[in-house]
Amino acid sequence: MTNRLVLREIEKKVWFRTFEHGMWDIGIGSLFLAFGLSILVDFAALSAIWVAALLPGLLGAGRKIVVPRIGHVQFRAQRKRAKGRLTGVLTATALMGLAAFMFITWILKGTPPSWAQWISKHFVIFIGLIWGGALAVTGWLVNFPRLYGYGALMFGSLLITDFVKGYHLGFSLAIVGGLILLTGITLLIRFIRRYPKQEGTLMEPDDA
Amino acid sequence: MPDGSNQDYTIDRIIHEPARLLITAHLYVVESADYVFLMQNTGLTWGNLSSHLSKLEDAGYVEITKEFVQKKPHTMVQLTGEGRTAFDAYRRQMKALFEDLPEA
Repeated sequence: MTNRLVLREIEKKVWFRTFEHGMWDIGIGSLFLAFGLSILVDFAALSAIWVAALLPGLLGAGRKIVVPRIGHVQFRAQRKRAKGRLTGVLTATALMGLAAFMFITWILKGTPPSWAQWISKHFVIFIGLIWGGALAVTGWLVNFPRLYGYGALMFGSLLITDFVKGYHLGFSLAIVGGLILLTGITLLIRFIRRYPKQEGTLMEPDDA
Repeated sequence: MPDGSNQDYTIDRIIHEPARLLITAHLYVVESADYVFLMQNTGLTWGNLSSHLSKLEDAGYVEITKEFVQKKPHTMVQLTGEGRTAFDAYRRQMKALFEDLPEA
């Protein structure tokens, strides 16, 4: 039985456990891997197919793996608000992406000033800033520190892509996605070993 | 030690029992949780947990609801308003009790 009984610590421990199984990492990693591969094979629909087909399957599988092992918990309003802010960050990231796209379109059409030309030449750095920043901000909002590392990895990788000639954006995204995916799989294996399935625990003894 | 004559130090014995204290503490920091979650986090066996939850339910401190998850019955446990108030009162009482102790 647990000896320490500090309410704040209990809540924190419970919250961190929801990230211990690595399913989030697998989801994020495979998403970036799909982005990278879709650029490499020049098949843009690959990312859309991933979102439409793999993501719901992954969520279902995650629930089947996680719930029988550590149970199901609903958090209080403060944590739910954090998830609401997460939606805000994702929306802001999408809007920033749209703004960047419109900016690049404007640059290609007209005769932009030199600073705008410099931005269009190094757009990969800005993609790295937006995605890396979004990962880091999400990590801060939902109190998921691993995302800081993923954000730094993403930004660093795209920074290298911009400076190393011939190094493809697709490779960069696929490598970052692959690394995050591998981390997730490692965490999932450790989670399954650490928390064996509680047989029949979805039911009360009376129901069994 | 309280003997019932001093109302300020009347400790809620339903919550005071170590296993039930752990259960209520865990339920206090979340909205609701299922049996597996409570077993994992309190270290109690299925039978023990079930028995303590029954006592807490009888006292009106927890609400046990059954829902279906993937076509299987799933039991969720939630601290009631009364349970939350009782836990807050218990915290205040214990704090006051220890703060009143003279320095060693």
